[in-house]
Amino acid sequence: MKFTIGIIAFALFLTPGRSFAATSPDTSSFAAVVRDVQPKVVKVFGAGGLRGLESYQSGFLISAEGHVLTVWSYVLDTEFVSVVLDDGRRFQGKLVGADPRLEIAILKIDSDALPHFVLEPTAGISIGARILAFSNLFGVAHGDEQASVLHGNVAAHTRLAARRGAYQTRYHGPVYVLDAMTNNPGAAGGALTDQHGKLIGILGKELRNAHNHTWLNYAIPTSEFTKSTSDILSGRNLPRLADENMKLPAAPHTLARLGVILVPEVLDKTPPYIERVVADSVADRAGLRPDDLILFVGDRGIPSIAALVSELRRIDRLDEVKLLVIRAEDLMEVILRLE
Amino acid sequence: MHLSRTKKIKRKWSFTSVSIVLLLLTVFAATSRLLAEQSLQKAEELAVQRAVSGIAPAVVKIETFGGRERVGRFLVGTGPTTGCVVSPEGYVVSSSFNFIQHPSSILVTFSNGQRAPAKIVARDHSRMLVLLKVSNVESLVTAESVPRSDMQVGQWTIAVGRTYDGQPSCSVGILSAVNRIWSKAIQTDAKVSPSNYGGPIVDIRGKVLGVLVPLSPGGRGGIAGSQWYDSGIGFAIPLADILERLGEWKNGQDLHPGIMGISLQGNDMYTLPATVAVSLPNSPARAAGIKAGDQIVEVDGVPIERQVQLKHALGPRYAGDAVRVVALRNEQRIEATVTLTDAVAPFEHPFFGVLPRRDLPDDEGIVVRYVYPDSPAQRAGIKIDDRLLNIAGSPIQDTTSAWAALAAVESRANVHVALRRGEAIHEVTTSLITLPQEIPVLDPPLPHQALPDSNGHPAVGIVNMKIPELPNECFAYVPKNYHPSMRYGLVVWLHKPGDFDQDQTVQRWKLHCEQDHIILLVPKSSDPSRWQPTEIDFVRKTIDQVASNYRIDRTRVVVHGYQAGGTLAYMLAFSHLDMVRAVAAVDAALPRLLRPPATDPLLRLSIFMTTSQDSKLTERIKSSASQLRELKYPVTLHHQSPTAGYWDQQSFDTMLRWIDALDRI
Repeated sequence: MKFTIGIIAFALFLTPGRSFAATSPDTSSFAAVVRDVQPKVVKVFGAGGLRGLESYQSGFLISAEGHVLTVWSYVLDTEFVSVVLDDGRRFQGKLVGADPRLEIAILKIDSDALPHFVLEPTAGISIGARILAFSNLFGVAHGDEQASVLHGNVAAHTRLAARRGAYQTRYHGPVYVLDAMTNNPGAAGGALTDQHGKLIGILGKELRNAHNHTWLNYAIPTSEFTKSTSDILSGRNLPRLADENMKLPAAPHTLARLGVILVPEVLDKTPPYIERVVADSVADRAGLRPDDLILFVGDRGIPSIAALVSELRRIDRLDEVKLLVIRAEDLMEVILRLE
Repeated sequence: MHLSRTKKIKRKWSFTSVSIVLLLLTVFAATSRLLAEQSLQKAEELAVQRAVSGIAPAVVKIETFGGRERVGRFLVGTGPTTGCVVSPEGYVVSSSFNFIQHPSSILVTFSNGQRAPAKIVARDHSRMLVLLKVSNVESLVTAESVPRSDMQVGQWTIAVGRTYDGQPSCSVGILSAVNRIWSKAIQTDAKVSPSNYGGPIVDIRGKVLGVLVPLSPGGRGGIAGSQWYDSGIGFAIPLADILERLGEWKNGQDLHPGIMGISLQGNDMYTLPATVAVSLPNSPARAAGIKAGDQIVEVDGVPIERQVQLKHALGPRYAGDAVRVVALRNEQRIEATVTLTDAVAPFEHPFFGVLPRRDLPDDEGIVVRYVYPDSPAQRAGIKIDDRLLNIAGSPIQDTTSAWAALAAVESRANVHVALRRGEAIHEVTTSLITLPQEIPVLDPPLPHQALPDSNGHPAVGIVNMKIPELPNECFAYVPKNYHPSMRYGLVVWLHKPGDFDQDQTVQRWKLHCEQDHIILLVPKSSDPSRWQPTEIDFVRKTIDQVASNYRIDRTRVVVHGYQAGGTLAYMLAFSHLDMVRAVAAVDAALPRLLRPPATDPLLRLSIFMTTSQDSKLTERIKSSASQLRELKYPVTLHHQSPTAGYWDQQSFDTMLRWIDALDRI
């Protein structure tokens, strides 16, 4: 008998006390995390269905009363948006509001006591971190079928440089680039969580990387949309999207005013080599010389004369122009300032 | 009694305690499994992050300025790309994908933000890499490589790039395979794309397995393989292999794939031994004394039983490398040292100057149907109805064996040909010439023997065909007089996108199919308005299907296309030299991105192309013709009078005569 009690004591000793409460979702396996997250993810059906335009997307609950965060898209462009929960219940979604800059929208369904994500800024999601992406990509799930879950890692944390078709996107803020194929048709609006099921972002629309034309898999971090979301929920008006061109200064720099004459622009991508520098001009005094090749204006790489001209148009004449040029084998930084 | 009661109590107690123990153990096992699972998940995540930050200082961002924007139809990415530092004094390896546009300026950014200009030192055309030298830097952190022998399929791999702002990017996967792309590359399922080409793929400890590159098993050229980006099939060149060559690469010498200069017998590299069919003139193999008929059994100590093993043994070797080859010749072992080269002068097909009879039952040798004027055959006094038995010591059974015998001759002067004329055996000696471009005027046309009655032959006339799982439609026209004892040429007609009239097509070909023993095969594009390059596979499958149902003369398989159909014909032919013997392309130029392979001594490909004054493509077609003639393909260029359509009757008849003479010897 002493022997058996001994075994019990030994077993108790071996078992860490904390582990008896180990069913909390934050610290369990992927299977448990997925079980916990799935009821918060919804399928959104609406307009579309024409050539190349899917009539569905994804979303997730952000309140117990049925607020659904999703992406702002043509799918919501109808009075009959339906939101289907993971248990198959179908509701009509009413548009509460949208943020055209982030391209997110909030729908409301008539229900209560729903499991939901709590929106709070996240910290410490670094490159290489494991992620789970929940979405109805390709519209695979219907009725009470649950969203698809993809597993991957955060590939990069960067600013969005992407284009949809031929157009640049409106959002240029921070994104998590992912190494799983998360952004497919219907996935936009899906939830990105860390390996413990904590919401870290919303999956974006399908976009191509503006630099190398590859399809991009990315999510907008939670911290980028918590304020916008609470503004929409509290009924505050969001500022209209400012036209990009409206921000251009009235009196920008020009090459002529700086005293720089470039080689003739014969191709779309003629590199901005300096042909001549006007004597005693700003450029001359700053030390620019013929045959210098301009590589950067500030932090922006300049692949062509056209890019240089368009970049200068963004800089007010009152501000300085910081150039990185290459002369023979040497890199030089040159600062141009109108007096 | 007392004792037994105690025992009973004791048993009861122990029963209860055992169940408690079991219960506790179950809870313990479940929670500890959970904990282990999480801690493993967390530990792996941490290890991945440590590996990435460990290699980060050796991973640089490369920006290119200037250069071409397009290569062929493909927009070249203008974005930044990644490189791996391989020596402290500033040598950086990257993928050549990023440098196909020949940039005028290159800028490298290190992990600390420091920028420096760089120059291309040399390229590796076998492994698709570039070596850059960054100026004015020293004591750089370099990548540490993993030996090939330590690589295990299934191990963690992390693809690292530096093309986004800030920190390097990573993608996690496992090592999928080693010894890929003829033993040059390793394979991973981590996401590999222009966002990390040129970057390292590291193990869980941050040591470098290889440098990421786009590659494809059959593809050649700077962007082959990039269509597989982010697909779960990514390739990398082992860093250990790169470092082994770094010393000589630094001298600025471009590296090229090493070529031996032989063709092998048969067309199944996975089962057949590596028996040499042709040892090309001016090739390293010929210089080392390797001859047609030799069976290669060993390369650098590695036994070679099948052709594919030879390909793997030579795949990683560069031009200039010496390999020790052991071959069997008449059961004797012969050893030779072959110094590989980057290019062998293109092979020009030799020509004797006769057309064979196709209407006679298979028998010894081939019977002469026509003797070309001014040909070696005519000079040697060959006459119609002579039966050729032997060329340069090789017995002749049919056209294919005659071609092989001609290709294998070591010297084109003083070639002996044995023949039977009537009952007498003659031997003549002549010097071969190269395949002519002119089309003979055959008079009289192909003689016909009366065919025996054939019962139950396969379907004739218009035969509809379907390839399972493909949406495309397809039909064949089999001549009404088809007889299974005869061999039939195959003309694959690839229509131009848009209008297409089945009845008209059949009417145009019907009579010629019957006269010249031809089966017409008409595959259709799935989208009537265009052909897609992926449909090559469908067309190939239709050819396979016809060849399995009918008796096909393998020396007369012609792909004939009009406009975009002609473009597809070129793509099909150059990717299927084992199947296609001729291309007839009307109003179509070579696709810009297609790099025709070297002529194959055994697998002949003849080309017929047309130009006309009213075609926008005339200049490109002419340059295609000269490009192919430089490669020594037999090209016949036909000038059409300006017409509104496909072509006139006279041009059509010219093509038919060209097809009729494809089995020339």
